[in-house]
Amino acid sequence: MRQGIQGEMIRSELADVVGEEYISTEETDRLIYSTDWSWMPQMWLDRGERLATPDYIVHPASAEEISAILKIANTYRIPVIPWGGGSGTQGGTLPIYGGITVDTKRLDKIIAIDTQSLTVTAQAGINGAQLEWALNEHQLTLPHYPASANCATLGGYLAPRGSGTISTKYGKAEDMVLSMELVLPDGTIIRTPPVPNHASGPDFARLFLGSEGTFGIITEATMQIDYLPEVRLLHAVLFADLSNALEAGRRMMTRRLDPMVIRLYDPSSTASLVKEVLGYELEGVYMVIGFDGYEELATLQEQYAMEICLELGARDLGREPGERWWNHRYDFYFPPKSLQLPWMYGTVETLSTYNNLERIYHAKKQAIEETYAEWNARYIGHFSHWFHWGASLYDRFIIEQPPQDAHQALRLHNRIWTTAIRTSLEHGGMINEHHGVGLKLARYMRAQYGAAWPLLEAIKRTIDPNGIMNPGKLGFGIY
Amino acid sequence: MHILQPIATTENCRYCLMCRHVCPVGYVTRSETLSPHGWGLTIASVRRGLLQWNRETSEVLFSCADCGLCRAHCATDQPLPDAIAAAREEVVELKQAPPAVYRIEQALQQWSNPYTQQQPWPVKQRGDVALFVGDAALFLWPSALEAAQLLLSAAGVQPVLVGAGRNNGYLASSLGLRSTAEALAQANLEDLQASGAGRLLVLTPGDYYTFSRLYEDRLGIAWPREIELVELVPFLAGQLEAGALRLRRSEDTSPYAYCDPTHSARVPGRDRAPRRLLATVLGQPGLELFWRGERAHPAGDTALQFTQPELADQLTLARLQDAANHGAFMLISEDPGSLAHLNRHASRFALKIQGLYELLARHLA
Ligand SMILES: Cc1cc2nc3c(=O)[nH]c(=O)nc-3n(C[C@H](O)[C@H](O)[C@H](O)COP(=O)(O)OP(=O)(O)OC[C@H]3O[C@@H](n4cnc5c(N)ncnc54)[C@H](O)[C@@H]3O)c2cc1C
Ligand code: SF4
Ligand code: SF4
Repeated sequence: MRQGIQGEMIRSELADVVGEEYISTEETDRLIYSTDWSWMPQMWLDRGERLATPDYIVHPASAEEISAILKIANTYRIPVIPWGGGSGTQGGTLPIYGGITVDTKRLDKIIAIDTQSLTVTAQAGINGAQLEWALNEHQLTLPHYPASANCATLGGYLAPRGSGTISTKYGKAEDMVLSMELVLPDGTIIRTPPVPNHASGPDFARLFLGSEGTFGIITEATMQIDYLPEVRLLHAVLFADLSNALEAGRRMMTRRLDPMVIRLYDPSSTASLVKEVLGYELEGVYMVIGFDGYEELATLQEQYAMEICLELGARDLGREPGERWWNHRYDFYFPPKSLQLPWMYGTVETLSTYNNLERIYHAKKQAIEETYAEWNARYIGHFSHWFHWGASLYDRFIIEQPPQDAHQALRLHNRIWTTAIRTSLEHGGMINEHHGVGLKLARYMRAQYGAAWPLLEAIKRTIDPNGIMNPGKLGFGIY
Repeated sequence: MHILQPIATTENCRYCLMCRHVCPVGYVTRSETLSPHGWGLTIASVRRGLLQWNRETSEVLFSCADCGLCRAHCATDQPLPDAIAAAREEVVELKQAPPAVYRIEQALQQWSNPYTQQQPWPVKQRGDVALFVGDAALFLWPSALEAAQLLLSAAGVQPVLVGAGRNNGYLASSLGLRSTAEALAQANLEDLQASGAGRLLVLTPGDYYTFSRLYEDRLGIAWPREIELVELVPFLAGQLEAGALRLRRSEDTSPYAYCDPTHSARVPGRDRAPRRLLATVLGQPGLELFWRGERAHPAGDTALQFTQPELADQLTLARLQDAANHGAFMLISEDPGSLAHLNRHASRFALKIQGLYELLARHLA
């Protein structure tokens, strides 16, 4: 907690807003809220090192309470860190300058389900799985299925622009949002227009998507939802090489077959992950393709997709390996199956157009495995979120025996990230597709945006003149 | 349990968020600390010297409800509740556990139950089938026991009562009172042996879990292989199907919901039987709660009722709120402990709490 009398005075002021029950300065809470799901802080704690902790953790129950908290933060110039499920992988919720961590999980009400327009309006702190169960009771679904649905919140889906398993058909979380209620850094509560695809001036709502708590706090969102599909048809094929597999995916997308998922594992992940989690020993490129909706339509789409795959030399593995993948698609994230400390790892995912994709993959693999050969760095990847014009490469580096010293380990980790990001940028890729920027990628934002970066900085200074909102993230630093 | 197992488990869980959505304590508190990963990281941080066991950390540790939902939803079957119980043992030994733990320890050692100053009944008869009574059914909700006996009698079963007035051992184990839990377990097994029964019927999924898993997993006490363990509700549903139990239709048509008892998630597939029985008597399926079946949250009848009574009440209130949200007038369950806790606050929600065994017994044909 901030020291001395002033620290206590601020605590009391915050307690007046949320209630004594909903503020904590306890040591255990401060430790737990000092890390998210990113490797850096987890490694730090794992090696017995201390992290910067929040001074106060508050659990507001309304936009009005959040507004009052932000006003207090402005008065005393205290950092505010929005916290959803803490499942972010980029250090977005790390309280690197201390401050007030605002846990949004008490904002968890479903306000309305509109079965005519097919929308749900919910508060931003609602848990993804609980929201989905509630929709399923009406045979409806929010088709954003990230592997983190069990732990992430609706606000956390939108703030870092997440992608789910079936984004290839249904879009990213940001594509599903119609409107939002937000608390701006000065405490003003605003609503974005009720629908997105208007021509009534610029779509300023999109500024907040991807702002990761640096422009304010999302307190409510109206999301487009869907009927649960009549069928989900999953199928798996095996390609001998990556080129033909990528071409198959490209053809399915550019011919608008509308798959809900195309998951293409490179030879290394086919040999490792697919074997460990699904139990298939395969050599080559394992690809899962899925269609959903009306049975007859989905069957026809699947038939065309299979023709494309077979034409390009794929071996048909049938439905069972596809269905098995679908049913166990989140098992990859349960320890000890997931990547875990004491290993070093990082998901250096990127996004690009089809003409660059394979080049990026090979260039990154070479750059990481050769540059860090002395650490036996491994590089594996899969292609997962597909668009009409390109796809995302979800790639990772893994070092099984990193340095023991926390500082040395972090430096090596950061060097590998720089190698990976530079290679992506040099070959036309983005610094990422769906994990957000947070603290981890903050230092690459200038390179990503070039001459446009000062514009983003100017917007930040206008919206948040005192720089209280999530300082140090997204490259905005402190001012 | 070997000490390496709890360590491996908390190391796995400390950064894993994959079962947070089902954790009832995380749900009612919305706290990151009071969630599976919060407990995992707290224990792991003590091991790394980043935290110490003290009043505050011990409060955190004793706030897990030991309900088993995390493990039931874990794709790699991590026994997190067992690991938390093992960490509690350490804290109890350090004399850092909440004061209530030591009071309960004394009560369990002296009276074998935490509710009254009465010794368990000795086993008076022998027979093929025994019914485990436990403490909650005797001291908190005795009508369940009477009704269960009526139902069994109607199905032609006259069980010998065992463990009447004695805790099954879960409470002590949950609080990290391992030797007390072992003593209770041994006493219950001795009762069973004295009864000569080859089949033990239990009233609740909590008893079923304790005998079938907890004894072995946490206390290293194997369940006697020759004794078949049977939960009474699925048994009655089987008797109904076989025509050995006949029930008549109730005239009550008020909207009802079934409240899956505490520990239901630990007994997969047990959720259909009570619903079948209820649909037979009440003529229609009940309203389904949000937290139901394999994701059913507990009411306040875990060890929390003694160490964190406010948190236990929050769990109970959440179950009642769930029923009220769904428009139920009557909330039905068979677990005496759950029933007692639900009943305490039901009037706030204008809900009538109804014992399942009593309802069935009233409608014997
Ligand atoms: C096992 C696992 C699997 C994952 N799989 C996926 C995946 O498939 N797809 C994917 O996209 N991501 C995935 N992630 C990453 C992460 O979970 C997502 O980005 C998730 O949506 C973050 O949500 P959260 O509620 O946990 O946000 P947090 O981690 O709490 O926050 C993330 C960022 O958003 C900000 N923020 C949170 N809530 C708000 C709010 N209401 N208003 C403003 N800012 C806010 C925070 O300050 C932080 O900067 C995964 C993570 C894990 C742990
Ligand atoms: S029990 Fe399983 S799902 Fe829950 S935290 Fe532990 S490893 Fe994760
Ligand atoms: S046992 Fe229950 S309360 Fe404890 S961590 Fe698991 S789900 Fe949460």
